[in-house]
Amino acid sequence: MDNLANLMHGFSVALTTHHLLLMMAGVLLGVLVGVLPGLGAPNGVSLLLPLTFSMDPVSAIILLTSLYWGALFGGSTTSILFNIPGEPSSVATTFDGHPMAKQGRATEALSFAFLSAGFGALAGVILITLLSGWVAKFALRFSSPEYFAVYFMTFASFIGLGGASPLKTIVSMGIGFTLASIGMDSVSGNVRLTYEFDVLLAGVSFLIAVIGLFGIGELLLTMEEGLKFEGVAAKVRIRDVVLTAAKLPRYWLALLRSSLIGIWMGITPGGPTAASFMSYAMAKRSSRNPAKFGKGEPEGVIAPETADHAAGSAAMLPMLALGIPGSATAAVMMGGLMIWGLNPGPTLFTDRPDFVWGLIASMYLGNVVAVVVVLATVPLFASILRIPFSIIGPVIVVICFIGAYTAAGKGFDIWLALIFGLVGYVFKKLDYPIAPLVLAMVIGDKAEDAFRQSMIFSQGSLSIFWSNPLVTTLMAIGLTLLLMPLIGRAALSLRGRATARSD
Amino acid sequence: MITRFWAEIATALATLAFGLVIVNGALEFGIGWDSSGPQPGAFPFYIGGLVALASLGTLVVTATGRFAGSADLPELFLDRDRGLRVLSFLLPLLAFVVLSATLGMYVATILYLVFTMRIQGRYGWLGTLATALGTAAFFYLALEKFFQISLHKGPLEPLLGL
Amino acid sequence: MKTISITAALAGAFALGATSAAQAWQPTKPVEFVVTSGAGGGTDNFARMIQSIISKHKLIDQPIVVVNKGGGSGAEGYVYGKGAKGDPNRVIFGTNNAYLLPYVAKLGYKYSDLTPVAGLALDEFLLWVKGDAPYADAKAYLDAVKAKPMGFKMGGSQSKDTDQTLTSMIQDATGVKWIYVPFQGGSAAAVQLAGGHIDSNVNNPNENIGQWKAGQVKPLCVFSPVRLAKSDPVFEGKGWGDIPTCKEAGLPLETFQMPRTVWLPAEVPADAVAFYADVLEKVSKTPEWQEFVGRTAQTAKFMKGQDLADFVAKDDAANKKVFENEGWVAK
Repeated sequence: MDNLANLMHGFSVALTTHHLLLMMAGVLLGVLVGVLPGLGAPNGVSLLLPLTFSMDPVSAIILLTSLYWGALFGGSTTSILFNIPGEPSSVATTFDGHPMAKQGRATEALSFAFLSAGFGALAGVILITLLSGWVAKFALRFSSPEYFAVYFMTFASFIGLGGASPLKTIVSMGIGFTLASIGMDSVSGNVRLTYEFDVLLAGVSFLIAVIGLFGIGELLLTMEEGLKFEGVAAKVRIRDVVLTAAKLPRYWLALLRSSLIGIWMGITPGGPTAASFMSYAMAKRSSRNPAKFGKGEPEGVIAPETADHAAGSAAMLPMLALGIPGSATAAVMMGGLMIWGLNPGPTLFTDRPDFVWGLIASMYLGNVVAVVVVLATVPLFASILRIPFSIIGPVIVVICFIGAYTAAGKGFDIWLALIFGLVGYVFKKLDYPIAPLVLAMVIGDKAEDAFRQSMIFSQGSLSIFWSNPLVTTLMAIGLTLLLMPLIGRAALSLRGRATARSD
Repeated sequence: MITRFWAEIATALATLAFGLVIVNGALEFGIGWDSSGPQPGAFPFYIGGLVALASLGTLVVTATGRFAGSADLPELFLDRDRGLRVLSFLLPLLAFVVLSATLGMYVATILYLVFTMRIQGRYGWLGTLATALGTAAFFYLALEKFFQISLHKGPLEPLLGL
Repeated sequence: MKTISITAALAGAFALGATSAAQAWQPTKPVEFVVTSGAGGGTDNFARMIQSIISKHKLIDQPIVVVNKGGGSGAEGYVYGKGAKGDPNRVIFGTNNAYLLPYVAKLGYKYSDLTPVAGLALDEFLLWVKGDAPYADAKAYLDAVKAKPMGFKMGGSQSKDTDQTLTSMIQDATGVKWIYVPFQGGSAAAVQLAGGHIDSNVNNPNENIGQWKAGQVKPLCVFSPVRLAKSDPVFEGKGWGDIPTCKEAGLPLETFQMPRTVWLPAEVPADAVAFYADVLEKVSKTPEWQEFVGRTAQTAKFMKGQDLADFVAKDDAANKKVFENEGWVAK
């Protein structure tokens, strides 16, 4: 119970008016960078970093982490309203969030997203509070084969899902994998697949792909249908937020399952994006009516959001305790820690308990502050949909392209976003699934690296994937997830044949 | 207009070409399996090949589907009305991208919003200009001033002293 | 009134002239700091530290904007710098990868597309093993590796980069042979060593200090001609200054250091180079910089002009030899 005493001390450090104001400022700024696609949390954090050099480390990290929470929330907002994921980890939120918004249920979708995100984040922090020592030790057991197994699990859970043609799924996923392998290959030190174009040196940014595939592709479809957003008729009342909150406990199972997936992916190297995809997949698989997913099912918003934020906050632990940045944002914050004169690592907890427990306490407070702040913005954001499409459509176009440019400051990316937009439109019309492409793009190169590192470890022997209990268990879970739909389908067809015969 | 059949064929040919380009690009780095596992080109090579094969598969499925008289293939991918609506959105969007690359993103933003709102949406000049200039000004203040990120600029901004 | 203000201005000009000889060039618009690593990387910390010192001491009047261009191991940043030929408002921060990258990969820039400005510090490399490993010194560990070629694993940053180059140099100097496992960066290699998945790494002090403090890893020797500066004890009473140099420890490889460097695009006015070199020299003398260098256990060494050119020539030759031996040079 040492940890609890430490936490109480942490609250006494974090709970000052000054810090609460910093949290509010951080959350609001975060929402802003999260809402603008392309800007994202890493940019926001690195832009604020110089300001924090003159602050004391506790205040500085509170400001930066609050900005991170805010950006995660802001990213979900644009996913739901415009089908533009502001952050990679909010891609899965678009699957059901945007259909809900189109049906005039934007307020409900946003409220569900924010509340379940807050729940997930708190679940993640509670884990850090109770199990910090154990988790830090556990994470040390992970090496390349275990990393690969975790990525494999994510793919396996997702792959058997869609109703799309298997050929088209392969094409889509393959394109994602190849796009991810463009640029520097760290295992060999070669620059791959750039065809000697300098603009491809840094690879194809994931953000550009989702801005095009989701944002612009969706606009083209909306235009073709001649539809206006049906949000016009929807009333936006703060009461609806409260009503939605009252409905949340009904989804306790989804919340719990998603939190566990998120925490697991946060402390293993899967990260928030993989967590949200996996949680969505598991929600759909275990649902009694999986057909409702993708058409505006609240559980399809709750599952990825809860897991995303649970992973986001649980990932702070490996960063502090081991010095492994779990995400791009964490990498920037770690840079900040060094400049403030702190060394992330196993002894940070004992060297600087004020800092660590102040931070952990601020994660509780920051997330509560964030949920309150963003819930208050729901009516504002939801009413954006009441603006006629002939105005908001072009404005979204501008936001998308400016976002594409700011992601890396490259003019080439504007053209790339346009191409991705056309691809997204055609793929959607011809029933090519886009989610596998996106997932492959996010974790494809990491999975490849982990696989090849494992092969270097074992000097080319695949047996390394069942060389210890941990990796064997992970691979077994992955294989089960992969084969389950096939077995299920086989069982169904057998039963079908049996009934046919008995008729 | 275009039927779904031709749209399927054209898309599959495009992904086939993509797969082949990747296969070709991967050959440069060795595609074998040596003592330290797969060589750098192996992974892109096989994935590119898989994309090409799956595209061929889609071509075959589509072609046989047509002869077998599949219901949705002869359907229109885009009819005239829908095509026009898409074009009326896509062409200004293209112009916006071209203008962004030549005149800079702020000028392109203003011109694009004025065009879509005034000419296409038939809003009044006041609302149009307010929206267009307001959006550009918001991004200018937020990005250039606050976040210190500069957008692509053309020949006009220096004349205004920005 | 007028005369007074003119005199004041003149006096001011003289005062400036006295501190920094004839400053003909000044930045006229915001200065862009191009970082050739991702946010949070070593080069990123280096550039942002300098940015914070410059703004604190007001060494440059114009605002400074930092942009990260870390793609292709930093090549993206150098290509971006090349694009600003003749523009002295774009300053590029890097390491020795500025002149080493074009050897190992086909890239869109050559070393001649850059103008050297200054080097501010040398990052040190140490040989590390797991904290509970049975080796008391470098010699004991190397003997064990020698007895079992390809039986030990050395981890480090990506292939053909500094860590693998150094590994190759040690192998040449001592006749041992490791399996080299490339990870995403030094921090990953540090954690892999702490977890016992690899047997050693050659991380910079900053990358392993967290693990050393906890006793999960221990340093055997430093690849530097002299011992590191004395510091507070890190673990069990030992500090950076107590680590023997590799030569002392019986490893016949004296020096391997990575310079932290600053560049401008090609064909910029000589005055601009002098201006930045001067600003950076002032930065290197501030207490904040000294503190930063000390905390990250780098060696402060300011170089410009001929000093820098000599260093680059020597470092370039030493690395090139390894690249050629290993067959890493891109055709």
